[in-house]
Amino acid sequence: MEVQLPEVSLRMMAPELFLFVWALVVITFDVVTKRAQGESVGYLTMVGIAITGGILAITGEGPGFGNMFYNDPMAIFFKIIFLGAAFMAVGSSFGLTKQKIVNHRGEFFGLMLLSTVGMMFLASANELLTIWIGLELTTIPLFVLAAFFKDNKLSVESGLKYFIVGAFSSAVMVYGLSFLYGLTGTTDLLQMKLNLATVHLTFRNIGVILIAAITMLIAGIGFKLGLPPFHQWVPDVYEGAPTPVAAFLSIGSKAAGLAAFAKIFVNGLSAFHGVEMAPNDWGKLAGIVAIAALILGNTVAIRQTNIKRMLGYSSIAQAGYIMIGMVAQSALGLSAVAFYIFAYMFANMGAFAVVTAFEDKTGSCEIKSYAGLAKTSPMLSICMTIFLLSLAGIPPLAGFLAKYFVFAAAIKQASLEGGQWLYWVVGAGLITAVFSLYYYANVIKQMYFSKDDSPYRVGLQAPAMLVVLIGLAGVLVFGLYPEPVLRFAGEVPSMFGFVSP
Amino acid sequence: MTLDVAIFFISAIVAVFGATMMITVRNPVASVLYLLVSFAAQAVLFIQLGALFLGVVLIIVYVGAILVLFLFVVMLLNLRGGEDLGQPSRPMSRFSKYLIGALLLVELVFVIRGSAGGTDQTVTGMMGPVVETFGSVQDVGMLLFTTYLYPFELTGVLLLVAIVGAVVIAKRETEREAAQKKQLVEERGHSSEEKVS
Repeated sequence: MEVQLPEVSLRMMAPELFLFVWALVVITFDVVTKRAQGESVGYLTMVGIAITGGILAITGEGPGFGNMFYNDPMAIFFKIIFLGAAFMAVGSSFGLTKQKIVNHRGEFFGLMLLSTVGMMFLASANELLTIWIGLELTTIPLFVLAAFFKDNKLSVESGLKYFIVGAFSSAVMVYGLSFLYGLTGTTDLLQMKLNLATVHLTFRNIGVILIAAITMLIAGIGFKLGLPPFHQWVPDVYEGAPTPVAAFLSIGSKAAGLAAFAKIFVNGLSAFHGVEMAPNDWGKLAGIVAIAALILGNTVAIRQTNIKRMLGYSSIAQAGYIMIGMVAQSALGLSAVAFYIFAYMFANMGAFAVVTAFEDKTGSCEIKSYAGLAKTSPMLSICMTIFLLSLAGIPPLAGFLAKYFVFAAAIKQASLEGGQWLYWVVGAGLITAVFSLYYYANVIKQMYFSKDDSPYRVGLQAPAMLVVLIGLAGVLVFGLYPEPVLRFAGEVPSMFGFVSP
Repeated sequence: MTLDVAIFFISAIVAVFGATMMITVRNPVASVLYLLVSFAAQAVLFIQLGALFLGVVLIIVYVGAILVLFLFVVMLLNLRGGEDLGQPSRPMSRFSKYLIGALLLVELVFVIRGSAGGTDQTVTGMMGPVVETFGSVQDVGMLLFTTYLYPFELTGVLLLVAIVGAVVIAKRETEREAAQKKQLVEERGHSSEEKVS
């Protein structure tokens, strides 16, 4: 029997392979140095991520293993986001590894890198199997990271909860994927798209299996993204997990889930979007979920007293905004989604870095304990204020532009025939954006308008300082001068076969 | 009724019976044993469909290795029914469980009805013709190490991650590490560790 391998190009996979090896190096280094090295493990990790970024920059586009691994602009854009999120999460965990994590520092950073490797493989995947394995590779290290404080009840609860929800959602998702495979006989997304279109054109009706597949996939990915009604785990996991892990979870794993959503729905099931496709229309189902996320995330966040829970609900709402761009199902919408995650990364990682520094110093995550912080730590308070305002979407920060592009893409689609329902989604987004300002501003109010001075003076260590500065630079620079990112984000949908607008 | 159909019905009924008993009995050991029965019956179904390799793997890996491991763990934990397994769930969560179960059942009925005579029958044409060696060890091996080599290697990475994670979660602190930690806590003296307890 002759053996035929698909076209293999390890050069295209260089960033992933390098980061994978580096993760093992980090773990080994920690063991070899008898776990005595406190900060050097962290610095080693950061250097590794930076080198991977460099390799990614010179890798270019092309196939790595047939169609299963393909470096397109979307993959590269998302990989930049993943590496950025990992870099910032590692940078803000130095205080933590100094105080609370005495053993297993290498594993802490190593697992973070391995999770990033999974996300990067996912970003390049063009095929159902690899998408699923990439998603698993992303979340399994995160289960462990969430439960990293083994003697802390909250952390163990968070890890266990995340594990059970994660395993369950993976099972649901794989069930959905198996339906898709059964319908089309292929796991390749392009082939699947063709086959489904052929069936649809020939018989005008695919039947209930596709509805079942779409529902299961939206449920499975919805769990990963924390979209209602699959959101209950989010605040608990965010509260219990080590804060930098929660930060990484909110960007990295969310962006990975969104990449999977974009690949399966916006690309693979692109034919099943719009009125004439009812009842196989995934757009409306995702739109309803998005509206639910916007309303629930933004209203429940108001009542939170713990800042990590608040940011958890805020991340549910942000996922809702991102879904608006997805359901628009256009090249513009997908570019807006990419830009949104990019801008969200800077603001959210920055905010979490400040929360981490504050927690390391005071041991508290209550919003109340931020009272009067502006008087003792004015610089930190200004940074936190800018991050929160960007999350709320106040001009001229990057968060405003992100929201603007997402809404603009959806409105443009809504003005086309049969897209009127998108106005409801956009309306929900606009109204709840006002709510969101309330709970973000509440933290700012605590910091600035409190009669008493804060008893704490919170400083930043060098790596955390770097993270906050990167976040600040990202929020301000890309808010005022977004052109380079926009140009790149504009190329993101190039492989999706949209008719150019 | 031919022998083929008879074997199918017997093993299908046994598989469903095993799965149902597995979730209804309160004794964990019995639960694992019922799962074993269900897997064995499913293996027969796979072999009947021509997926020889899959059927054998199901027996060797799941029944032979994983379930025996399960059994060991359950016995080591020494769980009995009753109070060890906690309270029965509240009405609300029980309701949602039944709801999801009912939805899945409805879906299953629709899918079966659809594929038994509706438009879905045409869809199965997408799967391509079944080759003569379908399901043989050679065919599965060839696919795994050529077309699907990359996902196959990726699962290797996945296993490595799981091992590292399991070690981190399961490993007890050595005395030296515990002492180191204690020292750190004393140095800091306040707050962050108090919350931990």
